[in-house]
Amino acid sequence: MASSDVGIIGYGSAAYDKKPRQALFGYLGEAGRNALASAGLAKSEIDGLSIDATNTPDTAVTFAEYFGFTTGWSQSGSSGGTGALLSVARAVKAVEDGHAKYVLCIGGGAQDVAAFQKRVTRFNTAIADYLMPHGFGGMPGLFAIIQRKHMERFGTTREQLGRIAVDLRANARLNEAALLRGPMTLDDYLGAKPIAEPLGLFDCVMPCSGAEAIVVGPLDRAPRGKGVKILAHRERNNHPMGEVAPVSGGWEVFRDELFHSAGYGHADMDFMQCYDDFPIMAAIQVEDLGFCPKGEVGRFLDVHRLTHDGSFPMNTGGGQLSCGQAGGSAGLLGMVEAARQLRGEGGARQVKDAKRGIVSGFGMISYGHGLASAAAILERT
Amino acid sequence: MNDASIPPEYPQPTRTPANAPLLDAWARGELLLQQCEDCGAKVFFPRELCPACWSPRLAWKRSAGTGTIVSWTRIHRHIHAAFTAEAPTLLAEVKLDDGWLMIARILAKDGAAFASGTRVEPVPMPDAARFPLPTFRALE
Repeated sequence: MASSDVGIIGYGSAAYDKKPRQALFGYLGEAGRNALASAGLAKSEIDGLSIDATNTPDTAVTFAEYFGFTTGWSQSGSSGGTGALLSVARAVKAVEDGHAKYVLCIGGGAQDVAAFQKRVTRFNTAIADYLMPHGFGGMPGLFAIIQRKHMERFGTTREQLGRIAVDLRANARLNEAALLRGPMTLDDYLGAKPIAEPLGLFDCVMPCSGAEAIVVGPLDRAPRGKGVKILAHRERNNHPMGEVAPVSGGWEVFRDELFHSAGYGHADMDFMQCYDDFPIMAAIQVEDLGFCPKGEVGRFLDVHRLTHDGSFPMNTGGGQLSCGQAGGSAGLLGMVEAARQLRGEGGARQVKDAKRGIVSGFGMISYGHGLASAAAILERT
Repeated sequence: MNDASIPPEYPQPTRTPANAPLLDAWARGELLLQQCEDCGAKVFFPRELCPACWSPRLAWKRSAGTGTIVSWTRIHRHIHAAFTAEAPTLLAEVKLDDGWLMIARILAKDGAAFASGTRVEPVPMPDAARFPLPTFRALE
């Protein structure tokens, strides 16, 4: 089966919570059931499973036992915020190669802020041994160092980066599933209590509970106009090597190949769903993926609005900054929102006539920065 | 004095054969860092193999310890009680004059002027021994 014949045929989410109302299994299952309903598939048809979950000893194989699947292909995360995104592209390949016919890709987490902070203390060896003993303040401490460097090197301002938080909140106000939906002005953003200077509260993603899911299978199984193709995807890990607080994240290495392989240019993208754990990283993804030159995202943010009806629709459901970061679901949040938009199911936040868009992921924060970058270009059938 | 007035201890790195020379030297107030004897790479954090050329011949070299702040943050909200008690604290990317690059805690008096480009030196003994990893202060 050729890759043009395989793609996303369904998506679904679990309702998010600030504090877990159920165990991880419950969130993953809820998102999976909703994705099957969206695809019009019976549970018995699923024969491939990818799970990207945090704080669990379970794998895609033991989850298969728990949920009652027999699988011919399975994948367990995680490379952090890129893992779940890439699981969808790898599932397409698995179906092409005949290892499975229908793959369910789920990402999720059951946590609150305190549980996430406890996890961060031993997030990986480099953090546990060489950052925790310094009192690094969790992830905000590291992104604060990167943001200050970007501000001092390129003249980027908090007012400019604040447009990301404010416009994404405007998108979230049209998304009933977002946990943070209160109005936010630029003054609210600028005046928020400091967390790790120059970062304030509204620069920092809120850890929460939830899950997202995607069904991959033959596109002719999707109702007419409801299939979504992955035209191209790329990843890059541990680049640039040897830097501790780089102002780029690896997307710049593959972006030309990514667009060339997809057969489209930047102007052909109707939206961007990026990994917005912090506005500075969303801004760096805009630069590294080539929507503006390195160092010029401040001016880009001066002239573009990021709302669903703006000149550069970004994270049209509100992104992690307003929906919350539910562990392994964060790597699928953008993919699910992209599928929703390309199927014309965005409701009040629908991007008009959305034909294709770019989804990017970021993660595996270690000694000073995130090591994993990925992106995919998607198109409606 | 009751127990609540005793600040919790700093989290400690897990001691391994790879990082023991760093930790032992710093406990004496000295800065010992790794350099590859094959390709010359200055390596931090400690490894068994050079991440540039994969040589196992990593030698421990004494660093002068002086350097420059590349970028920094003042942290108000901590995830460990030992630092909450001392907040706000400073954390910075430090480029040492003899080539190593690291993230480290910086000690500065409350409200002291602080900026990227500030010159730093290791905290001297006996204070150095309080901190689990090489910690710096503004060069006077």
